[in-house]
Amino acid sequence: MSAVTDPHDLVDKVVAELPERLPAQRWFGGKDRPVTSVRPLRTTVLGEDPLLVHLVVEVAQPDRRAPYQLLVTDLAEDYDATADPELAGRLLDLVAEGAEVDGLRFAHEPGVELEAGLRGRPITSEQSNTSLVFGSQYILKLFRKLTTGENPDLVLHRALHRVGCEHIAQPLGSITGELDGEPTTVGMLQQFLPDAVDGWAMATTSVRDLMAEGDLHADEVGGDFAGEAQRLGQAVATVHADLERALGTQRADAGDIDRTVRNMVARLDSVVAAVPELRPYVPALREAFDRARDTPGAVAIQHIHGDLHLGQVLRTVQGWLLIDFEGEPGAPIAERTALRSPLRDVAGMLRSFDYAAHQLLVGQPEDHQLAVRALEWSRRNRAAFTEGYAEAAAESVGDPRGRGYLLRAFELDKAVYEVSYEYANRPEWLTVPLSSIARITGEGVR
Amino acid sequence: MAEDPRPDAALTGLEGVPHTGEAIGADGLLVEPQAEDFRSAKLAPREPGWFKGAVFYEVLVRAFSDSNGDGTGDLRGLASRLDYLEWLGVDCLWLPPFYASPLRDGGYDISDFRAVLPEFGSVEDFVYLLDEAHRRGIRVITDLVLNHTSDAHPWFQQSRAEPDGPYGDFYVWSDDDQRYADARIIFVDTESSNWTYDPVRGQFYWHRFFSHQPDLNFENPDVQEAMLDTLRFWLDLGIDGFRLDAVPYLFEQEGTNCENLPRTHDFLKRCRKVVDDEYPGRVLLAEANQWPSDVVEYFGNPEVGGDECHMAFHFPLMPRIFMSVRRESRFPISEILAQTPQIPDGCQWGIFLRNHDELTLEMVTDEERDYMYAEYAKDPRMKANIGIRRRLAPLLENDRNQQELFTAMLLSLPGSPVLYYGDEIGMGDNIWLGDRDAVRTPMQWTPDRNAGFSSCDPGRIYLPVIMDPVYGYQGLNVEAQLNNQSSLLNWTRRMIEVRKQHHAFADGDFADLGGSNPSVLAYRRRWRRPDGHEDIVLCVNNLSRFPQPVELDLTEHRGARPVELTGGVRFPTVGELPYLLTLPGHGFYWFQLVESGDEGETR
Repeated sequence: MSAVTDPHDLVDKVVAELPERLPAQRWFGGKDRPVTSVRPLRTTVLGEDPLLVHLVVEVAQPDRRAPYQLLVTDLAEDYDATADPELAGRLLDLVAEGAEVDGLRFAHEPGVELEAGLRGRPITSEQSNTSLVFGSQYILKLFRKLTTGENPDLVLHRALHRVGCEHIAQPLGSITGELDGEPTTVGMLQQFLPDAVDGWAMATTSVRDLMAEGDLHADEVGGDFAGEAQRLGQAVATVHADLERALGTQRADAGDIDRTVRNMVARLDSVVAAVPELRPYVPALREAFDRARDTPGAVAIQHIHGDLHLGQVLRTVQGWLLIDFEGEPGAPIAERTALRSPLRDVAGMLRSFDYAAHQLLVGQPEDHQLAVRALEWSRRNRAAFTEGYAEAAAESVGDPRGRGYLLRAFELDKAVYEVSYEYANRPEWLTVPLSSIARITGEGVR
Repeated sequence: MAEDPRPDAALTGLEGVPHTGEAIGADGLLVEPQAEDFRSAKLAPREPGWFKGAVFYEVLVRAFSDSNGDGTGDLRGLASRLDYLEWLGVDCLWLPPFYASPLRDGGYDISDFRAVLPEFGSVEDFVYLLDEAHRRGIRVITDLVLNHTSDAHPWFQQSRAEPDGPYGDFYVWSDDDQRYADARIIFVDTESSNWTYDPVRGQFYWHRFFSHQPDLNFENPDVQEAMLDTLRFWLDLGIDGFRLDAVPYLFEQEGTNCENLPRTHDFLKRCRKVVDDEYPGRVLLAEANQWPSDVVEYFGNPEVGGDECHMAFHFPLMPRIFMSVRRESRFPISEILAQTPQIPDGCQWGIFLRNHDELTLEMVTDEERDYMYAEYAKDPRMKANIGIRRRLAPLLENDRNQQELFTAMLLSLPGSPVLYYGDEIGMGDNIWLGDRDAVRTPMQWTPDRNAGFSSCDPGRIYLPVIMDPVYGYQGLNVEAQLNNQSSLLNWTRRMIEVRKQHHAFADGDFADLGGSNPSVLAYRRRWRRPDGHEDIVLCVNNLSRFPQPVELDLTEHRGARPVELTGGVRFPTVGELPYLLTLPGHGFYWFQLVESGDEGETR
């Protein structure tokens, strides 16, 4: 390994090489344009031998600057300290000790006692952050792209834990740094659930089973998911109710709804300008968004998950859990922490069922029978999820089916977002949101 | 019946055979056969805790082998097949009731605890069976119904005829039918009340099951003594234990549901004390079809390693295994095991895939019933199998891979496995025989007449042998499978043998290893040997019909090497990364984890 021993030499070296290395990092959110420069914002030495340095850098790109968090060492060729089980374990020890190192504060939640001395290993499924698992007990999420202030993921987890929510992984600790002179969450430690499987894997297992049958319907095959979907609906509704208990609820006024609809229309306009395939649906979409204004009764707004889909839920032996309350990572923090209708989360899950149903068909030659099966699966599980949600929904939210126009608008808004995402990233998948839009706008509200 | 004053008038076929109520003593007590009247069997070797690692085999005497050509299996016939059971690796036979009985409830309506149903043989034949079994290292337990008797039992006949006699208080009598209103009716299909009026005595009697099965009155100390003496009778003859039927219902108490009452547990502790003091090494197995967290009560006080039953059946696991494979999801199994509490040191679960009863959802918690119905009620194929009796092979559509997967789980999940006769050769059922008898057809031994079960005229056989083209005895029988090395029978025997080589299967603790693939159920059994070393077995089961990968977190065993148990193949050493395995559809692995440096497999 390299003979660098002085932390400043190491940081200089890392920073010099970062413009080249960053685009290859999975968590790097700026792959769409070149990196113009990287400069260190804060350097905290967490260990001398071997060297372990916490580093916050500012990454400059054309029209964009963003702070990112790194943990570096001279032990590894690529300087990545999170891949080293011993160094990763050091982070847990610091949280367990409640240490503070040059303004970087490691803390466990009140009343929590942590077992130190465990080795850490990164999990491979993480996209925009890096998560380290210790033994089979803890998981530490290191936020890569930093946002000034307390991270909503930590805030909402704490609030939910306070009211005894059973559908989250218990928050156990945090790491707080400083950014723009403000305390800023850089890491969150949680209970790890070794038995957990994410909802996407569960759902696609079921879809695969259905697709392998020639002549059986979605309600006849062994891998039926409806029971799980229903329990998942109950879990999501319970989390919403717990968030309401913990952080309150408000009634949206006409102005709020008008703003919501205008945002939907604005998104539609900008997407359709880039994606001509969306054009035929514009009149129907506009009408659907407008109809959201007709929602009867008061619409509750509160803290919600904000980016709910099957990849954000875990099946454990205790039932379904929700994870990652960060909101849409790409959205500005103000939007991520704003009060919004819980129906947005419901719509997100409904969209996700559509995706799970169709994912095996993408890129395959067209097969009418399989397309029918996918639609069956989607309908069956969307209905079961909604049923489950209605069973456990808080009074302020009620049965989503009683808010059909609003729910449909949220779902279509999400689908429009998907169109822009797929167009830019996975053109083969564009048919999934487009065919959903065609179907939903063609069906009306039931 | 009331016209005939003899107390044994309702017993049939016992003329000339010792039985209860042949005579009445001067004290008004019935004369009952005593163990000293018979020769006793040589006892099985003393080996406390034998049941923790034993492979049980449920065998219906009627269905296994007919020694005298009358078309019905018998105790001597069963004894003649013990070489086969020894070869298979069976450690203990479980015989459903073979007592004298009018057979209105499959023999669970016992009319004399101290006589054998004549068509099965005699007490002497039973002792012969015990001797022959013990000689081969096989133990024998049988069902004993504590809660009630048949209404043909001489005790009941005396009780109804002479309310003031010594048996007058042996049953629960009442002038009206209003007491214990909170107790549910178990057989709602046939019974409208737990009370039935007896015109002979002019009172109502209490029964939790059929109206022809009056409940014994355990409030009466004489009843408790009489039942303890019943246990002693068979234990003196050499029997290795009892499966105690319907234990939750022994006592009644106003204002309760009359189940699992503290005094019921007190009586079971008395039974246990008799076993411990007078018959050490014998076993009590509770049949309490309830939720595991309630069933553990029947093991008794954990601080003394359990002081009620040594074993209890784990009922909810079985339907969960079926659901897991159907759903291709490990969660139904993982959930129920996560909800299963620790049991006292000296105790063990009994687990099974099939038995003589149906795939039942009864007697579980409301929540569990909702869960099962939510899953099954929407699923016509599973729903069709609820409440009826099917054998393992037809339930799995005769899929060999699934039969192996199910059996591998039965042999490796925590608990002593109970095999159902015939499932080791993949026998079929005959649904045209009706609910009860579909899974009780004669054991298929050979392609000869009556499947080698009996030499009788085929018209005389108690139930027709299976003759359909898939499961028919001409092709599917023990003889044919013995001669075929790749048969299910030889495979099952091999797996039982492997299981016995690793005490971790019997007594190891259990850890669900989770993993990212919902279709793969992986678990670890770990047993600390007396010498301080550990026997660690890793079981990985693919519940899906499609090939699957799985990454297992084995970091705790970094540096260990998995050695596959059926072939001894050494797999790559466990490293820092999750351990990757791929499994074929419905495939499974059993590994031993061997510390690096060790040579090969250790036991």
